[in-house]
Order: sequence, then structure tokens, then C-alpha cells
Amino acid sequence: MVPLFIALAIISGIGALLAATLVFAERVISNYGDVEVDINKGNKKLAMKGGGSLLETLTAQKIFIPSACGGRGTCGYCKVKVLEGAGPLLPTEEPYMDAEERSSGVRLSCQVKLRNDLKIELPAELLTIKEYVSVCEEIIDYTYDTKQFRLRLTDGQHMKYTPGQYVQVLAPQYEKSSEEVYRAYSISSDPADQAAIELIIRRVPDGICTTYLFDYLKVGDKVRINGPYGQFYLRDTTAPIIFIAGGSGIAPMKCILHNMKNTNNDRRAVFFFGIRTTKDLFLAEEMTRFETQLAQFKFVPVVSQPEPGAEWAGVTGRVTHIAEDYLRKQGNAHEHEGYLCGSPGMIESSIGILKKLGITEDKIYYDKFS
Amino acid sequence: MKKSPQQRKLERLLQSSKFSASGFMGTDRRGLWEIIDEDAAEIAKRGKTMEEVAARMQQLTDLAEQGLGDWIQVSKNLHVAVDDNRGMIPCPWPHRVRCMKRITTARHIPSNTGVRWSDLNIHLIKEHGFFEGKGSPFRIEPGVLIDIIFSKD
Ligand SMILES: Cc1cc2nc3c(=O)[nH]c(=O)nc-3n(C[C@H](O)[C@H](O)[C@H](O)COP(=O)(O)OP(=O)(O)OC[C@H]3O[C@@H](n4cnc5c(N)ncnc54)[C@H](O)[C@@H]3O)c2cc1C
Ligand code: FES
Ligand SMILES: [Zn+2]
Repeated sequence: MVPLFIALAIISGIGALLAATLVFAERVISNYGDVEVDINKGNKKLAMKGGGSLLETLTAQKIFIPSACGGRGTCGYCKVKVLEGAGPLLPTEEPYMDAEERSSGVRLSCQVKLRNDLKIELPAELLTIKEYVSVCEEIIDYTYDTKQFRLRLTDGQHMKYTPGQYVQVLAPQYEKSSEEVYRAYSISSDPADQAAIELIIRRVPDGICTTYLFDYLKVGDKVRINGPYGQFYLRDTTAPIIFIAGGSGIAPMKCILHNMKNTNNDRRAVFFFGIRTTKDLFLAEEMTRFETQLAQFKFVPVVSQPEPGAEWAGVTGRVTHIAEDYLRKQGNAHEHEGYLCGSPGMIESSIGILKKLGITEDKIYYDKFS
Repeated sequence: MKKSPQQRKLERLLQSSKFSASGFMGTDRRGLWEIIDEDAAEIAKRGKTMEEVAARMQQLTDLAEQGLGDWIQVSKNLHVAVDDNRGMIPCPWPHRVRCMKRITTARHIPSNTGVRWSDLNIHLIKEHGFFEGKGSPFRIEPGVLIDIIFSKD
């Protein structure tokens, strides 16, 4: 009979050998060597070590793909068209793809591993997105829950953006959050000064980023941002404009109005700004000033539930209904372009009204929030 | 009872602040399954099911949504409003569910009490029977919730 200690030694030996084989196999299998990522048919080629996810790899190369779940495959933001080399769609990606995306090779870049050369297609604007370090220069209280943050880019940098676009702000780890998170905020400032940007931000109850910005960020602190993103900008036509915004949704409209002033844009435009109580109203003076600076602009703040005793001589009601009444009276509602920014509920309701009045969907613009 | 690796992974995720400031467990010392069991017992004691509670919350959110932020009177004593924010938040369970960052507040006028929930709370209750740990900013006390949302005039 084999003594017990010899049997144990043999078993441990086999165990150690298996473990070593696994480590060796892991090293060899996961060593994918150098791979090449070809972007937009040879427009840009990146050579790098394989093994990581496509999202990580692009981010490391300062190509910023939107992402809201840190690469866990749960937000569906990080879609990229892969023309060659990604293998079949994974079960984790399937729920996020519609039939057209499946057939055209759209993938969640956080789920695609770089095992071999890849050919991908990125919208040109993603290639212009850069990361910036800025310094918080000024914080202004607009209302009890809304502030404006002015961020000056460091090292004399400028951000080229189209008025209406947004940036992503990084909230670092802090007392209430052990992870870094990025959140989107529309640029509200005058685009004449591209060395600094302003953001109008509303506090979201127990939100990771807004709690950081409202309770922790101080003037003089560094803030990392990247951008610009988005397809929300003023189309170059002569159609009359209807802007509808609620709360912090005023931000991109303000930026667009500054630009209209800077470029002597004389299009007819009316801006319906919805707030709940008179305490929620801000920037009214600046908006009214645009009425004198722009040839054909009207600003209409609309308060839906003025608090008892409030002295409010302006328009009262639901902003979407007031905008609807206005358009009906115009007689040419269908000729308008609609620019919307605010809560998903307000956007959905505005789209319904504009469509009912004959404005086609391709003339209604807003940032998709999901 | 010994926890499976998946259970341990889920508890770690619920404690982290990756999706939610302060996490979903708050300062609760109980384990996830203990919290779920105790809240389930409270719901049963009140003669309700998780489905009924979640369905009523959803119904109130849908009603409140029509107000686009304004208070809506559901009955003589119950008022609701939504605070609709841009953006989505994923469910921490390992499946692909995302909810709007929309908060519904329900106010019971005579008792001057209120309760708030996000769309994610409705999903967490309906699918996972989870009211979150005590100390989490979005913890909902099942008893308080039932008193308010099923209140009779
Ligand atoms: C294109 C775009 C542009 C935007 N522009 C602006 C802008 O100009 N100004 C602006 O103010 N905002 C803007 N936003 C919204 C902004 O990006 C953020 O989504 C918002 O500020 C909230 O971020 P947060 O990190 O503070 O909240 P988060 O932490 O992401 O979310 C908080 C919310 O998630 C839910 N939640 C969190 N934890 C839990 C839990 N434990 N249980 C249940 N529910 C929970 C609740 O609803 C809570 O209120 C924009 C969004 C998009 C997509
Ligand atoms: S980063 Fe969220 S799904 Fe890919
Ligand atoms: Zn879930």
C-alpha cells in the first residue's frame, strides 16, 4: 500500500502541475499580441496590445465613446459599428440591438474583446472629441436647486463646439461615491469664448454627480471634461423656430441664442420656457435682452403652478399647451422647426403636439437621453 | 445559510456606489436576503403582494407624469408629482434593465406624510422584492408606503 504522505504528495504535485498549466495557458491564450484597429476605412489606424475591450482601448487612445455603466454592458451607450474581426454578437449584447443594428454590425464596444485586427466605423464627430482639464472659475446660484458652473480650460486650450452640444463631466471618487462617473451637461455659454464653458445644472435628489458638483466642488478646483457631443444644434435654414425648454433645458437654448446674436441671425424665433413656480425662474433678464439684440425673437416664461401669494403677471399654464396655442394662432405651424430640451416627459408631450400641428419628425430636434 | 458566489457578487455590487450614491444597502447590517425576507413578511402582513404594491406605484407615477412636475390630485387626500430627470440608471441585478431617473412623490394630506420612489424602486420591488437597505437614500419602508399609496379618502 502507498503510504498516506506519498499519496498526498502525488495529489499536491498533480494539483500544482494543473495550476501551473492553467496559468501558462491563460498567459498564452490571453496574449493576443499586437493588433490593429482600422477606423473609417484607413482614416486612422491604431496599433496596440490585444486582450482588452474595444471600449477600453479606444478610451486609452483618447477616443471617447459614450458610456454610462463603466463597461458592464448594462447601459447600451457604447455602440460602435464593427465591419470586420469582432466575431458573433454575444448574448450580453443582443437585448440592445434592433434588427438593423444587428445586420449592420453594430456592437457594444465594452463587450468586444480585441483578439485580432478590427475594422470599425465611427461617426466623424466622435474623432473630434477630446479630454480637457478645466478649473472651476465661478459658481452662481440661480435658484434653490439650480446653479451655473463656469469652467475655464487650462493650458490655453479652446473647445471647438457647435452651439447646442454637450460635454461629459467627470465626478471623481468622493465621500458619497467610490467610483468615478461621467454625466452629460449642455454648454450654455456664449460660444464667442471657447476658452471657457458654462453649464447650468439642476440638483438631482441623491445624484452622484450633482451632489458632487453642488456640495463638494469649490471655485479653483480642477474638473475633467470631454466633448463635445450631440446632434442638437440650430439647422441652417430660414424656417421659423419654436424653442421649448423646461428647467435646466434652457442651457443649450441660451448657447444657441448667443450664437444667433453673434451671427446676426434674423430668423423668427420664440422661446417658451416652462417652470413650475416663480421661484424656479432664472435668466429672465438675459433672455429678455436677447429680444432687443435679435431681430425677431420673443421670450415667454410660463409658470405652471404659481405659489399662493406670488406676484406673477406673466403667462400661467402648462408650457406645452401654451406653445400649442401660439402655434395654432400662427396659421403656419407646419413650417416651424421645433427645438426641445428638458425632462423626457416634457419632450414626449411637445413632440406629440408639434406632430399634431403638422411639423414633421425630421424638423423636431432634441437630445435623446437614453 | 452559505451564500453562493453570485449572491456575494450581487451584495458587493449593491454596496458599491457605481450606480447609486451611497449604494443600495445603506447602513443596514443585515444581508440582502434578510432584508428581502423581512420586507416580504411586512407586505404579507398588510394583505398585499409585491405585484400589487408595484402596480399601484406605477399607476401613481403614470398619473403624476401627466402633471409634468405639477402636483396632481389623485383623491381628496392623496397628491402626487413627478420630478423627471434626464438620464437612465441600470438595475444592479445581472440583467439588462434600465430605468429613467424619474422620482415620484406621493403626499397624504391629512397625516402630512409623504413617500418618494424612483422608477428603479418600482422595478426593484416588482422583480426582486427589494425595498433597499436602511440608510439608503432610496430605502422605502413598506408599511409607510402601503399606508400612503392605498390610503382611503
Ligand atoms: C444629453 C444630455 C444632456 C444633459 N444636460 C443636462 C444639463 O444641461 N443640465 C442638467 O442639470 N442635467 C443635464 N443632463 C442630465 C445629467 O446628465 C445627469 O443625468 C443628472 O445631472 C443626474 O446625474 P447624477 O449623477 O447627479 O444622478 P445619478 O446618481 O445618476 O442618478 C440619481 C437618480 O437615480 C435614481 N437612483 C439613484 N440611486 C437609486 C437607488 N438606490 N434606488 C432607486 N433609485 C435610485 C434616482 O432617480 C436618483 O434621483 C443631461 C443628460 C443628457 C443625457
Ligand atoms: S459601456 Fe455601458 S453597455 Fe457598454
Ligand atoms: Zn432588475
